[in-house]
Amino acid sequence: MQKIAYPARMTTEKRKPGLIKRLARQWDLQLMVLPALCFILVFSYIPMYGVLMAFQDYNLFKGFTGSPWVGIKHFEMFFNAPEFWTVIRNTVVISLLKLLVGFPAPILLALMLNEVRSRVFKRTVQTISYLPHFLSWVIVSGFVMSMLSTENGSINMLLQELNLIHDPINFLSLPQYFWTILVTTGVWKEIGFSSIVYLAAIAGVDPHMHEAASIDGAGKLRQMFSITLPSILPVIIVFLILAIGNLLSAGFEDILLIGSNPVLRDVSDVLDTYVYRIGIQNNRYSYATAAGLFKSLIGVFLLVGANYAARKSGNSLW
Amino acid sequence: MNVFSKKTASVAAVLSLMIGLSACSGDNSNSATGADSSANTPKNGEASANAPAGGGMYMLGEQPLEFSFYGHYDWYTMPNWGEDLSTQWIKENKKVNVVPVSSGGNAKQKLSTMIVSGELPDVIWLERGADVEQLRAAGALVPFDDYLDKYPNLKEWAGESTLNMLRSPDGKLYQFPNWYTTQPNGNSGYLVNKKIYNELGAPSLETTDDLYAYLKQVKEKYPDVVPFEVGQGAEGVDVLSSAFAENRPYVYSALSMMAIPTGSEMTSVFKDEAFRSSLVYANQLYRDKLISADAFTQTREQVEQKIITGKIAVYAASSPTEFGAIGNSLLSEQDPDAGYIMVWPIHKAGLDKNKIYPGAYNQLGWNVSVITTAAEDPEAVFAFLDWFTGPEGQRIIMWGPEGKYWDGTDAEGAPLFTEAFTTDTKGRDELMNATVNLQWNGNTVYVDNSKMKFESTLPEDKKSWETKWQSEITWKTQYNTTEFVNLAPAGDSNEGIINQSVGEIYEKARAQAVLNAKSEAEVLAILDKAEADAQQVGYSELLKYKTEKWQENLSKLKQ
Repeated sequence: MQKIAYPARMTTEKRKPGLIKRLARQWDLQLMVLPALCFILVFSYIPMYGVLMAFQDYNLFKGFTGSPWVGIKHFEMFFNAPEFWTVIRNTVVISLLKLLVGFPAPILLALMLNEVRSRVFKRTVQTISYLPHFLSWVIVSGFVMSMLSTENGSINMLLQELNLIHDPINFLSLPQYFWTILVTTGVWKEIGFSSIVYLAAIAGVDPHMHEAASIDGAGKLRQMFSITLPSILPVIIVFLILAIGNLLSAGFEDILLIGSNPVLRDVSDVLDTYVYRIGIQNNRYSYATAAGLFKSLIGVFLLVGANYAARKSGNSLW
Repeated sequence: MNVFSKKTASVAAVLSLMIGLSACSGDNSNSATGADSSANTPKNGEASANAPAGGGMYMLGEQPLEFSFYGHYDWYTMPNWGEDLSTQWIKENKKVNVVPVSSGGNAKQKLSTMIVSGELPDVIWLERGADVEQLRAAGALVPFDDYLDKYPNLKEWAGESTLNMLRSPDGKLYQFPNWYTTQPNGNSGYLVNKKIYNELGAPSLETTDDLYAYLKQVKEKYPDVVPFEVGQGAEGVDVLSSAFAENRPYVYSALSMMAIPTGSEMTSVFKDEAFRSSLVYANQLYRDKLISADAFTQTREQVEQKIITGKIAVYAASSPTEFGAIGNSLLSEQDPDAGYIMVWPIHKAGLDKNKIYPGAYNQLGWNVSVITTAAEDPEAVFAFLDWFTGPEGQRIIMWGPEGKYWDGTDAEGAPLFTEAFTTDTKGRDELMNATVNLQWNGNTVYVDNSKMKFESTLPEDKKSWETKWQSEITWKTQYNTTEFVNLAPAGDSNEGIINQSVGEIYEKARAQAVLNAKSEAEVLAILDKAEADAQQVGYSELLKYKTEKWQENLSKLKQ
């Protein structure tokens, strides 16, 4: 029976050329993609064998072949560690805060810049706002520390001048301020750079739509909500999916540098800093790998989940 | 035609990109496979390590010797070999060249990388303890036992009991000690800004109450000066704990030990009265703004800057003389009344001030050098280290080549210092600052005795600032803690994991107690909570481990 069905199928699909033929036809394009594929293979896929460490008692001298296998011991230890829930809470809270504030901020900036008439002013704002992106966190954290310092810190001096506070506040050793400082600094550093992609998307919106809308009597604000925003929605959704996939990456350098004070550890210790401290500083490689692997797995689930949700709106990644 | 040439151009661009990339990936795969090859290196090395054993003496200076040297510290950068008078002399006369391997500010990562890639340096300079044991257990270190009698300096100067304490569990000696000693040494204590002190009428600075009153006064009269500088990581707060009990060096309650010897047992640091009182006191200072607000986060450079510019009134640290000496010479150059002095250790009223020990020393000294199996000729390296720790090597690395600051030696081998030693203090200090990070196996007894012998012949105003305070104060106030060495468990052992958890609880509690507590009761509450948390993660098990190690040490020392 199958013998009859098979050739029938073949005939219907014959119109489409085979995969190899299709690839051969666009060989020049494929050649351009190849370096990127090699890059991913070499730097993202090949090193993945390192996750084996999570299931071993990894010994630096014995390597992968000589270290004993211990199953899921390190995962159990991680889930039972006294720091586990604090670390998870901090990671999720800091990430959500960054997402809540840090994600819409560049979109807002892009929308506002789009409405600016003066080209010079627009360019100036753009340049100034994206410069901080190129500063390393070491420098940015230096700024933050000196601005928030109790001795000659500009923020404290300003607040005192305005008679809002009497004594300087030691912002960097009071846990209640840490998340605000972290998120604000992050937004300041990245807002300009992240807004570039939205500005580009806005530039691609057909001006005829705006013209048509204004003839119909829509004001600037109406146009923004009814034309600009819906037009750049696909871009926003793609970035949102990616951001959700990174939910457990709450940051590393910024937290390590600004939140180094042990008094802040209850609010500043996130998965990545924990892995760094335990793994690198205390030579517990297997344990750190297990914690890192856990984070990656959650990340994959979140990414797939977010993509699934987005697919319903027709703007998914894949 | 045009389309075709465009295509070839883009293809060429892509190809060149790929070539660049494959070059990169080549590097990467090399280091990745290094993990496997590292397993073999120790074996290869071991063979070569055993080879020279029965052979003849290695004569230093006959053939050139070159080895790589790695200092396992974030802060350590080895000065280039041969760029100062001392090492230049060694390079020329002993034909020894040392190639530095930098930690790049991240020592732990660097060492791990070197182990995994199988590229260990010939000599590693590091703390005793878990890292050494890890290297030894993996067979990456060369034992010194065969060399000890052939090259006699280490055995002679360190003594049998020190060498016994340094021996690894397999009974062999792998560690070459640095600043090992049989007599008290160390610089821990309190540095005081002389100008401010005299301008305030040189009040009594003996008890903790005196200190508090003095700092208050400083705060009032010198608003731009930090009254009490506690150094990087608020180390000075640790030092303060020695003021609240007799015969109690601060290391008991420092992060590195976290165990209080009571009777024949180790007890919890959080319940220790001296530790608790010191935090209550430090918290009071902090609330009165007598300690700078960034005490826990400031860098070493920031501390140094404050001290050498005279922006502090009192500085407590484990080695305040280091910045103090630089600060003293810089400040007194501009103003003869400025500079630094040291005061007798502060004590709580009612205690015997002669039983206050802000610092500690132990026979084993500070840290150790180990020779790895990567060394081509470990015996030659040992021969050099042994010469380096002997009288001749010490004279040269401490005071430069013969002829400038010293000329000839007395009957006991102590150098005879020249006129220039006292008149050219600037050049001498420059030399000493250049070589301080090259003193890898300091011979405390020889160096200290030579210095003291000479200083005692000098009039008061000619004495070296550092030596003066060492002989007058710091050496008399350092406590012998040899019995408490090697208490730290290995990082990946059960006790090591507990040690880390307790350490984090300790760091947090200590910072909170100083920075965030609003009253004495709050400080004590924070410490009580820390005690409960620590017990939860198994602190008592850790204390048991430390007690055992301590008792082991005691029996070793009795041998």
